[in-house]
Amino acid sequence: MRKLLPLLAAICLAAPPAAVLGEELELKETPGLEEAVKDGTLPPVTERVPTAPLVVRPTEPGTPGGTLRLLMASAKDTRMMVVYGYTRLVTYTPDYKVVPDIAQSVDVENDRIFTFHLRPGHKWSDGHPFTAEDFRYWFEDVASNKKLYTAGLPEQMMVDGKGPAFEVIDSETVRYTWAKPNPMFLPALAGPDPLYIYAPMHYMRQFNAKYTDEKTLDELVKQNHVRNWAAMHTKLFHPYHTDNPDLPVLDPWVLKTKPPAEQFVFERNPYFHRVDPAGRQLPYIDKVALVIADSKIIPAKTGAGETDLQARYLRFDNYTFLKDAEDHNDYTVRLWRTAPGAQLALYPNLNVTDAAWRRLNRDVRFRRALSLAIDRHEINQAIYYGLAVEGQNTVLTESPLYDPAYRTAWASYDPKQASRLLDEIGLTKRDASGIRLLPDGQPLEIVIENAGESTEQSDVLELIRDTWAEVGIHLFSKPSQLDIWRRRVYSGATMMSVDKGVEDGLVSADMPPDDFVPTTQAQVQWPMWGQYLETKGKSGEAVDIPDVQELQKLYKAWFAAKDSDERAEVWRKILKIHADDVFSIGLIAGVPQPVVVSNKLHNVPQEGIFNWVPGAFFGYYHMDTFWLTPDGSNQASTASPKG
Amino acid sequence: MTGTPQAIAEAADRAERLPHYVAPEPFDPHSIEKMTAEQERYYLASQWRMMWWKLKRHRLAVISGAVLMVLYGSILISEFLAPYALNSRHDDFIFAPPQHIHLFQDGRFVGPHVLGYDYRLDMKTLKRVYTPNPAKVEPLRFFCHGDPYWYWGLVQSDIHLLCAADGGTAFLLGTDRLGRDMLSRILYGARVSLTIGIVGISISFVIGLTLGGLAGYYGGWIDSLVQRLIEIIRSFPELPLWMALSATLPVNWSPLLVYFGITLILGMIDWTGLGRAVRSKLLALREEDFATAAMLMGASPRRIIVRHLLPSFMSHLIASATLSIPSMILGETALSFLGLGLRPPITSWGVLLNEAQNINVVALYPWLMLPVVPVIITVLAFNFLGDGLRDAADPYR
Amino acid sequence: MFHYIMRRVLIMIPTLIVISAVIFTIIKLPPGDYLSSYIETLRQSHEAVDEQKIAFLRAQFHLDEPAWKQYLYWVSGFIRGDLGYSALYDLPVSQVVGDKLLLTFIVSFSTIVFTWIVAFPIGVYSATHQYSLSDYGLTLLGFLGLATPNFLLALVLLYFANVHFGISIGGLMDPQYLDKPWTIAKGVSVLKHLWIPVLVIGAAGTAGMIRRLRANLLDELQKQYFVTARAKGLSPFRALIKYPLRMSLNPFIADIGALLPHVISGAAVVSVVLSLPTTGPMLLDALRSQDMYLAGSFLMFMAALTVVGVFLSDLALAWLDPRIRLEGGVTR
Repeated sequence: MRKLLPLLAAICLAAPPAAVLGEELELKETPGLEEAVKDGTLPPVTERVPTAPLVVRPTEPGTPGGTLRLLMASAKDTRMMVVYGYTRLVTYTPDYKVVPDIAQSVDVENDRIFTFHLRPGHKWSDGHPFTAEDFRYWFEDVASNKKLYTAGLPEQMMVDGKGPAFEVIDSETVRYTWAKPNPMFLPALAGPDPLYIYAPMHYMRQFNAKYTDEKTLDELVKQNHVRNWAAMHTKLFHPYHTDNPDLPVLDPWVLKTKPPAEQFVFERNPYFHRVDPAGRQLPYIDKVALVIADSKIIPAKTGAGETDLQARYLRFDNYTFLKDAEDHNDYTVRLWRTAPGAQLALYPNLNVTDAAWRRLNRDVRFRRALSLAIDRHEINQAIYYGLAVEGQNTVLTESPLYDPAYRTAWASYDPKQASRLLDEIGLTKRDASGIRLLPDGQPLEIVIENAGESTEQSDVLELIRDTWAEVGIHLFSKPSQLDIWRRRVYSGATMMSVDKGVEDGLVSADMPPDDFVPTTQAQVQWPMWGQYLETKGKSGEAVDIPDVQELQKLYKAWFAAKDSDERAEVWRKILKIHADDVFSIGLIAGVPQPVVVSNKLHNVPQEGIFNWVPGAFFGYYHMDTFWLTPDGSNQASTASPKG
Repeated sequence: MTGTPQAIAEAADRAERLPHYVAPEPFDPHSIEKMTAEQERYYLASQWRMMWWKLKRHRLAVISGAVLMVLYGSILISEFLAPYALNSRHDDFIFAPPQHIHLFQDGRFVGPHVLGYDYRLDMKTLKRVYTPNPAKVEPLRFFCHGDPYWYWGLVQSDIHLLCAADGGTAFLLGTDRLGRDMLSRILYGARVSLTIGIVGISISFVIGLTLGGLAGYYGGWIDSLVQRLIEIIRSFPELPLWMALSATLPVNWSPLLVYFGITLILGMIDWTGLGRAVRSKLLALREEDFATAAMLMGASPRRIIVRHLLPSFMSHLIASATLSIPSMILGETALSFLGLGLRPPITSWGVLLNEAQNINVVALYPWLMLPVVPVIITVLAFNFLGDGLRDAADPYR
Repeated sequence: MFHYIMRRVLIMIPTLIVISAVIFTIIKLPPGDYLSSYIETLRQSHEAVDEQKIAFLRAQFHLDEPAWKQYLYWVSGFIRGDLGYSALYDLPVSQVVGDKLLLTFIVSFSTIVFTWIVAFPIGVYSATHQYSLSDYGLTLLGFLGLATPNFLLALVLLYFANVHFGISIGGLMDPQYLDKPWTIAKGVSVLKHLWIPVLVIGAAGTAGMIRRLRANLLDELQKQYFVTARAKGLSPFRALIKYPLRMSLNPFIADIGALLPHVISGAAVVSVVLSLPTTGPMLLDALRSQDMYLAGSFLMFMAALTVVGVFLSDLALAWLDPRIRLEGGVTR
């Protein structure tokens, strides 16, 4: 029974566009590669592009060529090119639909049988064919190989502890079958740091003991300074953390520089599978150069015009400086929006070990009082020029699940009610300076710990300190270091932390509600419950608050839901519980993100959302359609409307 | 003809008849040695007085000394001197540039006043634009009632040396990103930054004296050991030592304890120079006669070191110590920069400089870099004072 | 002489061993290890934690074994010349360091040269015209460099160099020359970027040198031989150059050995601000993430260089000054 109608509809709509458009797509040779084609080192474009390429309609048809300069902070940031390039089996669109990308089409049956149809003629970046063999190699010889994947298959492929049945139907079709629905599968494939279920067999087999003899392997192991062939295989197969120029990929740009280096150059993938409606192979841009500089200096370098497209490492407080520098440089600064549920939120640690604080943190009246005693408007005005959205840590306006009640619940500035709630709990005694006293006589001093990495957090805490002091709470801010802070949270030593809100405030019903339910130790409001679920009961503590147990039940219900509407229902219940229980005290959301775009760069939306999930930052705006004005031409980029 | 025997006899005769005066009083040996009052003062002056006189000649050192006394004195009354309390902030005056003090308005003498700001938020550039409004004359008040504060955490008061006019503002050095007055923050920050140097140097002084003294006096394997230790510490780049030691400070310490921890770390790394100087001096001095005499008289080693040897070069040690204080103060700022030292909400010059360490400040709000001025002044003052002390302590000039 | 050398060499070995133990402890001191900070960084940015990679890293760097064993692994590799594998860069340490050494030496060398060129004339002038106004003025100038926090100075200079001279911000050369072979144009670009770090790092060193040169020279100027030279009719300038100046240079030669760690340290903070591709920021990152091999091997390398350097300069001094040779052993 077909139950995922909307998804299927989207998938089917993305079927070969040549057929839909009713015209033959005439492929044009890529100007930068004409030389190589003439020499014979590269086959002509008709042979490089798959028989049924993906046609992407750019906002403005572009001219191929040029080098794009980006600034990054470390060699590890080469993975950003994989993120920005956003080439996945299936991808998200800016309106949260999942469409096939590398795959020509995907058939989904009951959410548990996934059949991927590849594009005939699709090749890796070195010219070898991309076929079902690559999927088989990954599934059978990598993921199921105990030496390479010691912990078994990746989590997103396991349902109830069981992996899928994998079949190769033909050289362009593969099928994964689970016994129960696996709604995590497609979102994992479409994620910014995706689940890779394919690997270039023709390249990787030489590092695999199953296909290569021991002697050759030993040689290679010595060359690569690793302990054994398994370590070498893992080291050389980093499709996400690109550091191996020899690894064939499917991304629009291929790494050409071997680390270590101060500048990483990516060149166009001659076998990329996307084209524009005029038949020109994408990407338009020939080269991308990543210059590595210290992250603190990147705003200064951006203001000096050393980059063509920059948003990473630019913060909102750099906007004024960048805007000022616009006059001396050839760029404009745009303000996009970020999409976490809250830019900053306070997280009372429900698993804190200290008994008195445990009692207080678990008392919903306490959390509500803390939330009511915060003047979010002041924070917004003082730090964000009034441009942010005040409210709780929940979904944003653009999300289909949005309800204003979630955001405004307990988020107004009402010190009187806060005081009343605190009195109700029993914290009525105060000391000489007006701070309330705990039952044991200690002052009500909340120590908020954080990673200490941004002044933004300490500023906001300064503002909160004053309003909390009015209701008799003393706030003490304790910056420390990332891993030290996190470890203290996990062990229950911290009573409250400040951190970003939920990563994705733009969820739709079909995305898993992982962030709102205890799923991992990394969640700082209930680390031990999260750990309990993450390790399946081996460590951590079992949930013992009824409302959170309800959340767990709802989480299971989401997986068992039969269609989108049921999932949406589950989501709404989860969000309502969060709104009532104030498990995290959201402060402000929707903080603008400065995006610096060179005036020579076209097709970058004027307004957009810059977020990790689901957008992969520039990913779902199709960075392969960005193009640079050729040198010598006077075309200035016209800012395209929201993409 | 004067050389003939007869001529000589005649000259002798004549000499006998010359008057010959003999003083009646008995001979007083002290009369030869008698000095004028001036000379006596000089002769009887102790080592310290002589040092002081020599120091006075070095004008730069004297000026530096005076400056330092003013700075350290200000620590005692920071709350009084600062126009605003430490944590007071003004949401309406974020990133306000410094207000200049004017005396005249339209040619008339009005008294010290500042011109109030007109505030406008430019939404295109998201810039806060402050224009001084000549119509808003805000006279400064002196010895006035301003923000309440707890003097040294003990006594509540609200008298300030200087405050803004009623309903006005007095941001003489501008405000920061939360609207806090920079002048006040710098004055309060002095408390932490200036005392770190003193406390740190005391710690390194004690360690250096003890270890250097032991090495120099006993020699042998103790000397070898201490020398190796010094060599090891000196061959280390400071950075990793700082980082490692700072990382060991427990996270749940209060800011005061963290502060002492930082000074302890700075002191523990800095003592080597002093230790070496003490050791070499002691090695030379213990061969001197007065040390041998004390030993023969049965003095314990401790007494010999403390009572006899050390005072000989205490002046040199003090000069060295004074010259080490600036490196402590700068070390604190460097540690703050690395994120290892003091962090907000503690206010110190290092923390203030760290907050100024970004391109926004350099390009748009340069007044936030003003805490660098007191740091420079303090470091220079200590250096010149130390130079003067060392020149003064030198017995050869 | 021979005995002296033998003794020093023999003492050097336990010194180096102790240094290696200290380095190891210092890097291991902060709680956690490389993997824990790596995992937390991934979690903070909501990226997936690759379990395989973690397991491999743990095995490769022996992070699951007791501390003393890890120490032995590291030292045994170090002695054999194998500096180990950097977890942070995913490359052999020698590759990571080797890449940056040339530029580090360029910066350090230029700084030392700059320091001498500036400090020398000021020191000499200051000693010969003691207590004069220009003495005060020049001393003030020299000390100003010492007094300014170098990270702030670096940032301000960076900004002004860009605004007024159009020099690209940070780094040691314009981006188009990165990783390219050396040409005249690249050299010019490096020079254009070099003056800021040299100025900032060198400024602090000039003050110390001025002070010491001044003090030594003043000492020498009092001595009898100088007075004699002047009395004989030698012009003040020639008398100065021929005798006291040479004598006062002694401590400088002796100091070179100890100069190295100081230049590396001071350079690290400024290099971070200026984003220079030198060993300073690399060391800082390695220490922060507890990359044992990179940080430890590099520090060991530097410490060994220093110990050997001090030894060599002591040797030079002992050859010059017989008293040092004969000292040692205690009469008590």
